[in-house]
Amino acid sequence: MDPPLVNESSFSPANPSSYSLAEIWPLGAGIGDPNGGLGLRMSNLGQNLGGLVETSANRDGSAEESTVTEQSGSRSGGRKRVDANSEDESSKIVSTSSGNDVNDSNGKRMKISGFRDENGSLKAEVETSSGTGNKSAEQSTKPSELPKQDYIHVRARRGQATDSHSLAERARREKISERMKILQDLVPGCNKVIGKALVLDEIINYIQSLQSQVEFLSMKLETVNSRMNPTIEGFPSKELGAQAFDAAGMIFGPQATREYVQGSQTEWLHMQLGGNFERAT
Amino acid sequence: MNPQNLSLNPTSIRSKFTKTFLRALTRINNRRPPISPSREIYQRYRRVKIAADASMASAVGSRRTWSRAILWKIRNQRRYRALVSRRISTHAMTKRDPRENYGREVGHGSADELRRIVPGGEAMDFCSLLGETAHYIKCLNTQVQVMRSIADLYST
Repeated sequence: MDPPLVNESSFSPANPSSYSLAEIWPLGAGIGDPNGGLGLRMSNLGQNLGGLVETSANRDGSAEESTVTEQSGSRSGGRKRVDANSEDESSKIVSTSSGNDVNDSNGKRMKISGFRDENGSLKAEVETSSGTGNKSAEQSTKPSELPKQDYIHVRARRGQATDSHSLAERARREKISERMKILQDLVPGCNKVIGKALVLDEIINYIQSLQSQVEFLSMKLETVNSRMNPTIEGFPSKELGAQAFDAAGMIFGPQATREYVQGSQTEWLHMQLGGNFERAT
Repeated sequence: MNPQNLSLNPTSIRSKFTKTFLRALTRINNRRPPISPSREIYQRYRRVKIAADASMASAVGSRRTWSRAILWKIRNQRRYRALVSRRISTHAMTKRDPRENYGREVGHGSADELRRIVPGGEAMDFCSLLGETAHYIKCLNTQVQVMRSIADLYST
């Protein structure tokens, strides 16, 4: 991306002009009413960057620029957190973040500048110095990874805690829904169910039925086992062979389990009755 | 969830479980304590059940939370019972873990229930709980299939 490169250079602390920019920001915010401060800041930005970015001091250009910055920053953050399915995620992030920035870039900037004022310039100094160290190390190692890394850093430095938080939250939600989908495929008859709570109930029911099946089967095995005492030594090798063949066919497909469950329900009752009868005698 | 975690080799776990379980069954069968018949049946049933759980968990290994929880629970059963009763008594008084907020958003009751059902799920966050649940369901399926085929084989 071309615009991020420009922006990166504009916001990177290694650049002397942007270093001065970081110092100027609180001052710009402190002067006058919000809008005037913003305009002043923008003009300062344009002057300080000199030939690097060709932004005029008007607000439209600056708004566009901030949009680009936000996009790339949040995109790289999303890609870092969400590893597997970045396409859907990143597209969502881009749409939301761009909308955000076009609408209330002013508000954001105001908030940030206020934050800067509160914490004083000491924090800014510390952050920029650490940023320079970071950046020089990165520059020496990998120039291709530089924009992404720097964007994450920029975002952190501007204090957008809520944004990163919501990003993380979105990533977590994505992961949860993905796992839910896997579980839905695993549990028979769960694909038709809509709603997370209902799906969870279905999963719980399925697990409980499986657990009770295990209990019942161990009950049955207990009676069978005591009856088939002498021949038990002959079985394992044959059994293992049969199992190995079975396992080739019995992959954990949803169809296989479904028909297994459906077939087992009636049989199960039958076996239970038989088992009880046997135990009673 | 990364899918390569889930794609366990079913044959290996299945055969491992079968081997361990059959060995445990013969062991249970060999030592049959002479107690009163009703108690004996119950105890043998418990032993078979525990053997099934333990062989399943050991076939999976210790890389999963639920299998670790099962093995731990079986190994120190008595201590576990005492601990659980104590925990239940203290649980009513103490505030809940803030981590349980994860479940609350989806449906508090069902997520908690899932935590109770999946072994070792009490201390998990919701994401890993779902992953463990998926793996646990697969292994339970295997367990049921193997036990059923063993039972069919013995009863015929």
